[in-house]
Amino acid sequence: MEIFCIEEFKVQFEKLKKNRSYSTIEKDIISYFFDTNIIALTSGTRLNNSDETPYIKKRLGGSGGYRLYFLLVIKNSNVYLMFLHPKTGSLGYDNITDESKAMLYKKVLASIKLNDLYKLVVENKTLTFNRP
Amino acid sequence: MEEVKYKAQIWATFEDVRRLSFEEKKESVYSQAKVDAFLDKILEFKKTFAEKTLKITVLIENIEKITWFNDVDNEALMSINDLISSIRDLQSTLIRQYVSLNFIRNKGIAKDEIKEFKAAIDDLKDVAADLESRYFFLPRMVDFQDVTKELSLF
Repeated sequence: MEIFCIEEFKVQFEKLKKNRSYSTIEKDIISYFFDTNIIALTSGTRLNNSDETPYIKKRLGGSGGYRLYFLLVIKNSNVYLMFLHPKTGSLGYDNITDESKAMLYKKVLASIKLNDLYKLVVENKTLTFNRP
Repeated sequence: MEEVKYKAQIWATFEDVRRLSFEEKKESVYSQAKVDAFLDKILEFKKTFAEKTLKITVLIENIEKITWFNDVDNEALMSINDLISSIRDLQSTLIRQYVSLNFIRNKGIAKDEIKEFKAAIDDLKDVAADLESRYFFLPRMVDFQDVTKELSLF
């Protein structure tokens, strides 16, 4: 299984990681997405009507944790992280609008087509973003 | 005669001290019982809210599973619409309960349990909105449907 992300995810992740209130974010993402298989990731709220390429909103870190948006391409065993936001703290908010959900969906498709992605790798328990 | 008077006064004072000492010891035991009963009530209160939070969390997971259904017909959509209304009704009942806890929360009692309870109520609100997006709003967005179609060709 390979894990990629779009620019929006990377920018948001780096912003949150700098904030002490969200110190668990990196660990939470690594433990959820790495060392698992793609089928184990098929839970949470599915926003589109596709079993093969589900667009998922997942609650990470329980209530009051983070909300993560990602796309799975089951056939290729690829994960595309699109966006995340905390529910609480100074950078937290409840939800994103339907327009934002649709915009991210369009953005991930365009990024896959243009190969405008970052590949996520864990090095010394740290997430690194590499250009494939 | 004076000596007899002193002795009586000393004896009376001794009696006062003895009585008060006894009463205070008794009172101290009684207060401990009261404190224990009070602490038991707090524990019971905490347990009640932890249980409520767990029930809401299980409910949210079951609602999320409904978003994985494919090609639902009109009858099922109508049921989903009713479900969304029920979730919102439940959420407003629970938020009223949360507001009524303000006094207790301000005293710092069961702070973590009440915080978790509130977070679960907020998630319930979100999952209703997400369910509505999934079946009623996002399918109406042409761009959104176009992306799904294009991804199906991968």
